[in-house]
Amino acid sequence: MSVELTTRLLEPVRSVLGTLLSPLVYVAETPYLLGGEVGEVVATRTLLLDQNKELERRVLKLSKISMRYLNLLNENATLRELLGSQARLPDEALIAELIGVVPTVNTHQVVIDKGADSHVTLGQAVIDSQGLFGQIVEVDQYTSRVLLITDKDHAVPVQINRNGIRSIAGGSGRIDRLELENVPVTADIVKGDLVETSGLGGRFPQGYPVGYVDTVVVDPTASFAEVIIRPTAQLDRSRHVLVIFTNPGEGS
Amino acid sequence: MNPARGGWLILASLGCAMVLAIVHLPETWPQWLGWLRPEWVSLVVFFWVMELPHRLGLISAWLLGLGVDILYADPLGLNGAVLAGITYIVWRFYERLRMYSVVQQASVVFVLLLASEAVRMVVRDLAWDRGWTWGIAVPALTSTLLWPIVYRVLQRFRLQFRVE
Repeated sequence: MSVELTTRLLEPVRSVLGTLLSPLVYVAETPYLLGGEVGEVVATRTLLLDQNKELERRVLKLSKISMRYLNLLNENATLRELLGSQARLPDEALIAELIGVVPTVNTHQVVIDKGADSHVTLGQAVIDSQGLFGQIVEVDQYTSRVLLITDKDHAVPVQINRNGIRSIAGGSGRIDRLELENVPVTADIVKGDLVETSGLGGRFPQGYPVGYVDTVVVDPTASFAEVIIRPTAQLDRSRHVLVIFTNPGEGS
Repeated sequence: MNPARGGWLILASLGCAMVLAIVHLPETWPQWLGWLRPEWVSLVVFFWVMELPHRLGLISAWLLGLGVDILYADPLGLNGAVLAGITYIVWRFYERLRMYSVVQQASVVFVLLLASEAVRMVVRDLAWDRGWTWGIAVPALTSTLLWPIVYRVLQRFRLQFRVE
């Protein structure tokens, strides 16, 4: 036990055992995988039509945003060139499906269906459609394990989107909250501020939303303010997530 | 008669226990229900060691525990040690346990599982600073309540397929 907690010698052992046991994870997930299939088969016509309309609306909205995004991307690249700083390359993403949840209470980890055969590596960031989800902590052959940002062991370097104040968002062990660590009582953080990854430390790419500030408790006698964040990612609902492949040479 | 008869049943029951151990509830259900999860693997190991102590030994219990570690994302070796501990104690007293009524067996199950949950909690606290809680009594209790059912079902299968 202590060998594993203090060194990384046992990682290959874990990965081999995990690969051998991945069929069990799939079997345990079959009710949900089947449930999804059956739901698609027996969905009523009106439901499908509604869904279709909703999706069309969203495609329209998103394509408008993406047109604007392309424009901004070009503009940004030109400006960066003018400033003489390195161009930022877009990140690539791999779509993965959630196939299991680690059952231990107080541990926020999930299993996804992409592993070493899809070139997933240790430490990659994982997002869902709303925001930062977690990071890869174990890679098996066909599956890998993701540590969610709310796990008590997890922390992510962040900044406030409004004014760039840097901090670290640590997991609280509860699925709906994160805590900013070591924030001075004088820091300009108010309820509703968007918190995003700062990219410092190099593990998480910059600029993915982490959450919104929920409460700020300033006790003048304490050395640090207590800042609670509500994560934007749907940590207990999302079934599809993206594994981010950060391009080497990214800098700012 | 073939002495290694019916090994598949032992393996199948252990496989089922491991699947039951990681099946998760729908996401919309309250999270505290997770505390009620019985220790399926420990129950099944308890049964097989009590009934067939010559088939399931310390080494196999330890290897099985390694698998449970992977599924639970625990430090490698924790569940191995716990299951080996249960196996040793049951193996030591299996003749007596067989003579007990199901209720008496259930009380032994409760004590053993409470002790193993306590070991898990201490190790997890040392490893990840998870803190101590009385919540560990809940899985031990639900497992105890399920023991009569697990016992009847497995005994039925064991006699049906004459696993010896």
